[in-house]
Amino acid sequence: MKLEIGKFFVKDMVFGSKTGYSRGVLTINKEEALAVVKEDSHITEADLYIVNPGDEVRMVPVKEAIEMRCKVSGGVMFPGMTNPVTPAGQGRTHALKDCSLIVVGKHWGSFQDGLIDMSGPFQRNTIYGSLKNLVLVGDTDEEFERREQQKKNRALRWAGHRLAEYVGKCVAALEPEEIETWELEPVNRRESIVQELPSVVYVLQPQTQMEAMGYNTLIYGWDGNHMLPTFMHPNELLDGAVVSGSFMPVSSKMSTYEHCNNPVVKRLMKEHGKTLNFLGIVMSNLNVAMDQKQRSAYMVAQMAKNLGADGAIVAEEGYGNPDVDYIQTIVELEKVGVKTVGISNECTGRDGASQPLVALDPAANALVSTGNVSQYFELPPMKTVLGELESMGRDGLSGGWEGCVRADGSLVMENNGMFCSDHISGFSVKTCMDY
Amino acid sequence: MLKAIHYINQFFGQVGGEDMADYEPEIRTGTVGCTQIFNSLAKDVEVTHTVICGDNFMASRTDEALARILAMLEGVEFDIFIAGPAFNAGRYGAACGQVCKAVKEKHGVPVITSMNEENPGVELFHKDMYIFRGGNRATFMKQDMEKLAAFADRIARGGKLLPAVMEGYFPRGIRHEVFLEDIGREPVMAADRVVDMMIAKLRGEPYQTELPMPALDRVPVAPAVKDLRKVRLALVTSGGIVPRENPDRIQSCSATKWGKYDISGLEKGFTAPEYKTIHAGYDPEQADRNPNVVVPLDAIRAYQREGRIGEVDDYYYTTVGTGTTQGEAARMGREIAAVLHERNVEAVVLTAT
Repeated sequence: MKLEIGKFFVKDMVFGSKTGYSRGVLTINKEEALAVVKEDSHITEADLYIVNPGDEVRMVPVKEAIEMRCKVSGGVMFPGMTNPVTPAGQGRTHALKDCSLIVVGKHWGSFQDGLIDMSGPFQRNTIYGSLKNLVLVGDTDEEFERREQQKKNRALRWAGHRLAEYVGKCVAALEPEEIETWELEPVNRRESIVQELPSVVYVLQPQTQMEAMGYNTLIYGWDGNHMLPTFMHPNELLDGAVVSGSFMPVSSKMSTYEHCNNPVVKRLMKEHGKTLNFLGIVMSNLNVAMDQKQRSAYMVAQMAKNLGADGAIVAEEGYGNPDVDYIQTIVELEKVGVKTVGISNECTGRDGASQPLVALDPAANALVSTGNVSQYFELPPMKTVLGELESMGRDGLSGGWEGCVRADGSLVMENNGMFCSDHISGFSVKTCMDY
Repeated sequence: MLKAIHYINQFFGQVGGEDMADYEPEIRTGTVGCTQIFNSLAKDVEVTHTVICGDNFMASRTDEALARILAMLEGVEFDIFIAGPAFNAGRYGAACGQVCKAVKEKHGVPVITSMNEENPGVELFHKDMYIFRGGNRATFMKQDMEKLAAFADRIARGGKLLPAVMEGYFPRGIRHEVFLEDIGREPVMAADRVVDMMIAKLRGEPYQTELPMPALDRVPVAPAVKDLRKVRLALVTSGGIVPRENPDRIQSCSATKWGKYDISGLEKGFTAPEYKTIHAGYDPEQADRNPNVVVPLDAIRAYQREGRIGEVDDYYYTTVGTGTTQGEAARMGREIAAVLHERNVEAVVLTAT
């Protein structure tokens, strides 16, 4: 399967009369873009902003981040979600690079929402602080969840994906500045020189623990809570088949931007044929009941073993309860002789003295740590806030609490509420260390 | 210039060898023996007093020794307390640990010491203080003292504390996140770290896990209750079931509070909407409709009526288990257990979600 990503490097983003791209400048017709957002009558208010690294801007409650892209051939964007179910991972996709689309609630936040600073001491805490961002700030008439801590955020998330594709389409007919090609042959049709290299699978455990529908990671539009581990080609992930959900405390979240740019998968593709034989992705899930956790762990181990994997990398989108799924999967893989490395974050408490994972096992002897959800932060005031700062303390965002926002616009919070900041997808330049 | 007090044993205090190990604690103004080395190395910290005590005295009359040393420190101004280095001397290591711990608890000042990794004092006290990795015998005096002096200087200058492995002290059971660039390391993305670790593990080459597995803290299962009709039973939950107003404002995530509420009047179990869940980690729909699915008071009452269960405690105990740190959970568990003991509860139904 072969996928080409045609890249357009955005140096500047402006509003203008016609949505288009020329020589590094992305122009957005605001009116036309907002019309795409308002195609859903549940969107009651919406506005767009452009923010750049270094701007004195704070965004909260941030719900999603998406790379602006379009399919040029071989499928559709976000199949099964904003577009009909269609195979992903083939043909040509055009993508606007060095920028993203950020979706922010105008007033109301939820458990999984987070904060992004574009300047100041916390700019570096999320990769979005160093990207040029088109920011959709909106409100909806989803009254049933307005006062709920758990929100599906459906109208805004879907609007974001429609908008990302609308903007992305402006480069559909242009010649990319660079083309990245991702290609892996079927696992049993590879040259012997590749077959002789150690074989590896990437096991992704996206957040799927909500038993009610509408909150979990979508795979081709299918709720990940209702699936068993399955085998995917890395191109499917890189091409938008997986869409982030609306449930996990946000420092542990993998946004859709991160799924499409997963740096572990990209690195494994680059090692393919040189040091490793990258078999593909075992798309697993995270569960609630013990038998569900065990079922997925056994099936992942079986699949990896019978695909001929010598090694596996397991990535857990979450912490706390799903640590059980994470550790159990590592244990089962090791039991069948697949050497396994894990990547996730920790929860050691503000004082750092708590057990870092809920589940522990000596078999998990090779782990990469991407951050501590309970790290305590004190943020200075920021000139401009997009969204509503009060949401951090009022609406049950996982990193905030009643009274955490001060009258002068400064706030205290836990890393738990910093948008995607532990970058379990692999972007994290943090680790945890003993003190 | 910060002021320090230095604790050393009878040998390094130049009182005598093993024959003087029963030497009673004393405080002297100024430096004695090896303490001079510290003052010659440290730039922003100066030892003003030296405490000397025989190792046997400390080992055999610990409470008295500590009480006498603490009394000697009354009225003495100091900012840092230093002990040792104790090398691989077991009694001396334990003494340094005990004195440092007592001084830290009473005065709240930084306490630092140094021991060899084989010294049993490391295992006993590494969670309570900075114990620097030291040599195994006194020939390492200068090197070990250099580490203590450098660290004391950094405390004096208010410098940011680096991870244990970089500072050279034994990890204290505390983990924090760090940006790699902040500790002078190349900011390698986690993606590259995990693939490099994978390749090393596949090749059988050495690699360093970033999360060493801590010792497992497993609680043994209690023996079964022989006759449920003869004990008082209580209901405890981490499922977040609270009276509607959540009177103690228990947090929905990362809880630090627990509540105790009267259920003596609830003959048929919990009722909705008078009780609900505030737990943010699971779908609340079923629990809000019928809180008994999380805390099975309805079933317990039915068993009581049937005579299968004797007494039920007048209160149930509740907190939220999502995002709650193991440290907070253990503290709340201890607090709830203490109340249960006081109330003569002998059996608990503990429901999680």
